[in-house]
Amino acid sequence: MLRFLRLYGTLIGMAAIVAVFWALLPHTFMTARNWLNITQQVSMLTVVAVAMTVVMVVGDFDLSVGSMASLSGVVAAVLFVQGWSVPAAVAAALVLGLTGGLINGLLVSVIGILPFVATLATLTMYSGCAFILSGGKTIFGRDIPQSFADFAKSGVPLGSIADKPVLLPWLTVLAIAITALVHVVLELSTYGRRLYAIGGNAEAARLAGVRVTLLRLTAYGFTGVGAALAGLMYASRVASANPTQGEGLMLNAIAAVFLGMTVTRHGQPRVVASVLGVLVLGIMDNGLTQLQVDSYVRQVLVGLIILLAVSISALGRKAIGRR
Amino acid sequence: MTQLSLQDVVKTYGQTRALDGAALNLRSGEVHALMGENGAGKSTLIRILAGLEVPDAGVILLDGAPVALSSPAQSERAGLRFLHQELQVVPAMSVAENMHLSRPYPTFGFGLVRWRALRKAAGAALDRLGVSHIDPDTAMGDLGPGDQMLTRIAATLIETTGPRPWAYVMDEPTAALTGAEAERLFSAILTLRTAGHAILYVSHRMDEVFRLSDRVTVLRDGRHVSTHATPETSRDQIIADMTGREFADLFPVASPQIIKVGHDVPLLAVRNLSAGPLRDVSFTLRQGEILGLAGLSGSGRNHLLRALIGAVPRQGHVVLNDADPGTTPTACWAAGLAYVPRERRAEGLMLHRPLSETVALPHLAGLSRAGFVGTSGLGKMVTRFAAGVRLKAQGIHQPTAELSGGNQQKVLFARALAGQPKVLLLDEPTRGVDVGAKFDIYTTIRALAEQGVGVVLVSSDLPELIGLSDRIGILHAGRLTQIIPAKGLTEGALLALCYAAEAA
Repeated sequence: MLRFLRLYGTLIGMAAIVAVFWALLPHTFMTARNWLNITQQVSMLTVVAVAMTVVMVVGDFDLSVGSMASLSGVVAAVLFVQGWSVPAAVAAALVLGLTGGLINGLLVSVIGILPFVATLATLTMYSGCAFILSGGKTIFGRDIPQSFADFAKSGVPLGSIADKPVLLPWLTVLAIAITALVHVVLELSTYGRRLYAIGGNAEAARLAGVRVTLLRLTAYGFTGVGAALAGLMYASRVASANPTQGEGLMLNAIAAVFLGMTVTRHGQPRVVASVLGVLVLGIMDNGLTQLQVDSYVRQVLVGLIILLAVSISALGRKAIGRR
Repeated sequence: MTQLSLQDVVKTYGQTRALDGAALNLRSGEVHALMGENGAGKSTLIRILAGLEVPDAGVILLDGAPVALSSPAQSERAGLRFLHQELQVVPAMSVAENMHLSRPYPTFGFGLVRWRALRKAAGAALDRLGVSHIDPDTAMGDLGPGDQMLTRIAATLIETTGPRPWAYVMDEPTAALTGAEAERLFSAILTLRTAGHAILYVSHRMDEVFRLSDRVTVLRDGRHVSTHATPETSRDQIIADMTGREFADLFPVASPQIIKVGHDVPLLAVRNLSAGPLRDVSFTLRQGEILGLAGLSGSGRNHLLRALIGAVPRQGHVVLNDADPGTTPTACWAAGLAYVPRERRAEGLMLHRPLSETVALPHLAGLSRAGFVGTSGLGKMVTRFAAGVRLKAQGIHQPTAELSGGNQQKVLFARALAGQPKVLLLDEPTRGVDVGAKFDIYTTIRALAEQGVGVVLVSSDLPELIGLSDRIGILHAGRLTQIIPAKGLTEGALLALCYAAEAA
């Protein structure tokens, strides 16, 4: 029973949450439009959680993703103000993300600082940089090119309902593409198998000829780029950039990966599982908002759901381990 | 005299019968060896004694009266104490504090510790065990594994008001110890026995069993096979009891003509190698040769292997087939060196990952096209080499954590062989491995040597070292003092050489 709950508890819980919202919101929840909306709402978080999965596979984690997301949005916006083209500014922000990620990797893997300490420090630094660059203000309006803001508003037409076109948002498409890409890299590439080996036993991997230091470093590069991309998606969606807009991403991304780990065998981080975790969080958020549940109450509920899932998983593992 | 007796014990896990009529009789004042292959039920029996498992059926009598051992606390109250393979210690705390971890500290009241009394109690207990070379003020982490173990035994001798221990269960206590450390443990065991305690001694090492024990009980397939007075039985008898078949000789014989063929071709030349404790080590390994390395604690034996695979920085020259194999593990594996590390769980296996991943890890580059793993090629390779070492598993995707010690070791052998190595570096290849798996491993090593692979073998199991090696190098304090032919050496002679090097 416990074993069953451990592996499928989160899935059952997810189904239960969907069922409850469906019952309470009979007209608005279970609609194509709402689900497309949810996918768009969670697209940024998906990208960050998927990128976070890469470092967590290695056994590390990255606290700086939220402030990196803010920073990349701000940098793109500042470059727009300077008259840079959209592709140039976007590329610059992504390179910044890569650099920031590799700095984390350098601190953790080469210098040997604990991930918690290193990325806590860079979290503060990246956030400070975002404030300095933006002057602490939101950059919006004419400064943001129309084509950049339009990206988040448009998508692939799927048909129409009641004469209104239904779009698969580009943000969703992008999130799916990133998920697919990282999934393939982690599960099928040599690089990915080596990352899993490091997470499984770093010393054994080193003695077996895996370049542990280098690979840990590059994993952080992935996460940095992912965070920067999510920051750009967010900036596009709200057509503005401010130095705090990525704040919620880090905790939610870590929560999503942990939720995902509850459905995998041996509790290992995997991309598809992380996306499942993101969906649980996104569905909760969407449903509770529609039910007009106070946002503070919402936080408590989301925290409880995470604890419940992880507790069941831990108890289940204990029950299995006892034999 | 106290006496603990288990009869007709049955314990099943799901489909498997771990114990099916096991029996044991342990008396105070004896060292009682418990033997059996991996999977024979020794661990389960110990877990039952420790109160970690409750048997499905069977009788447990303490001095003739039924006793329940259904929790660790009850087991402790029955006077049983356990020494596990992996010791739990707090490295940063002192020996004296570690000895008090599971008991109240002496205090002035209000939780204020009487440090002097604490130190004195610890010192007295260490003296009682005859191990007064351990200073109660040393940090636990500064002690070697042998002294840590002695400290743990001494901790049970601290005078308390609680139930007095009378029986000690030691599970492979010498697995992690060097010869000298083991000697200290043996004399502590004899001290305990003289004081009237009972010791249940679980070991794969025949020489230890014959040297220490008064009686031997053998389990096979969860059943009690025999209990003999040790002086009245023999090594062959015990092996026959454990395996259910006769073992003519544990060590496969080297076929002499093949050995002659490649034997003059140098394969690996090491010149003036220094690394960690090692100083100016030079030797040449020839094709198809098995070079054993013997030495006392701290001689640098396993450091030498780590230096050769590039895991620690080194100075000097290493030449493999006229080329430098490089100084990182990545380069060394690629150059044709393969390594089976000493601590298989800590240094070798990804315990919760499929065993195929551990096997394939050093060879991923060769199995990939454009950065992607060829799954079918990988599966074929793993299956082939797993079969080659006679690995028993439910499939190549089974996590290594679920395998027995012997099969875990075979996973590492499959990994080492999968790269078609030129030189095999083996650190304690049969540690904690049962007799059957040992034989498979010996056969594998021999077969490789006959194909021309060079083997450097580190082992603290002296019969194994002598039985397998062509030549044996004696290491002392980081220097390779001499290399001698293994043929005709006796354990005593080899040990004498190790100690002689010390005296020189």
